[in-house]
Amino acid sequence: MADDKVMIIMTSGPDTPHRCATPFFFASLAIAMENEVTMFFTIDGTLLLKKGVAETVFPKDGGKPVSGFLQDAMDAGVEFLACTASMELHDLKPEDLIDGVKLVGGATMWQVAEECKTVLTF
Amino acid sequence: MAIVRGCNLPDDLYYLVEKHVWAKPMDGGVVRVGITAIAAKLSGGKLAALTVKAKNIGQEVLQGKSLATIESSKFVGPVPTPITGVVLRANEKLATDPNLATNDPYGEGWVAELKPSNWDTEKASLATGAAGVAAYQAKLEAENISCA
Repeated sequence: MADDKVMIIMTSGPDTPHRCATPFFFASLAIAMENEVTMFFTIDGTLLLKKGVAETVFPKDGGKPVSGFLQDAMDAGVEFLACTASMELHDLKPEDLIDGVKLVGGATMWQVAEECKTVLTF
Repeated sequence: MAIVRGCNLPDDLYYLVEKHVWAKPMDGGVVRVGITAIAAKLSGGKLAALTVKAKNIGQEVLQGKSLATIESSKFVGPVPTPITGVVLRANEKLATDPNLATNDPYGEGWVAELKPSNWDTEKASLATGAAGVAAYQAKLEAENISCA
């Protein structure tokens, strides 16, 4: 049985911290279910990929920072893609981002979506 | 039942030590599978869910591939099957009480029952008996894991 491909488009960021753990959790879970998983970061989601930011965002007071959920997803094998237009939105340069993120254009989002069984947006 | 570094390890089960899962041949050619006390400990002990993949029921799953997923506030990950086989049924009690798997991993907390495809060849790849417990103990010591 071939593995299914799924994508999570992440648009939420530091302004809505309580929205920032679940998408990574769902990504890790999809890997555990033998899916091929891509997280596509755009709008405010890209801010979470800036060095030093995810460590400071707490979905729940006193709980695990977003960096923990992010690292779990990356370690599990989730592919991290970031939208170049959103980099411009936030005046980010490639060297501002954490390692392990591939920068792509918006057209890639559509190409990946076409290959996916399920696409979620947060 | 052996107790190794505070972890219960029955010596009559067949373990896929690397993945912290066990297999037990039952009557009628069925093999029951589940997670070990070590997996229960590593998950943080209190599960939010343990979900057998519904798509797998009636399908053959290869040894090492994901049979189910385990979710806790500390951990999310797969429960790999220790053997290749067709999944006959999931333990329905886990849907309402996933912590049966952490509280009674070898009894009421079993995960699924399979019809094995290659039991005779695959059981040689699993650790069992006193040697099996010793192999598991070596892993726990190397990784400094204990259930105490």
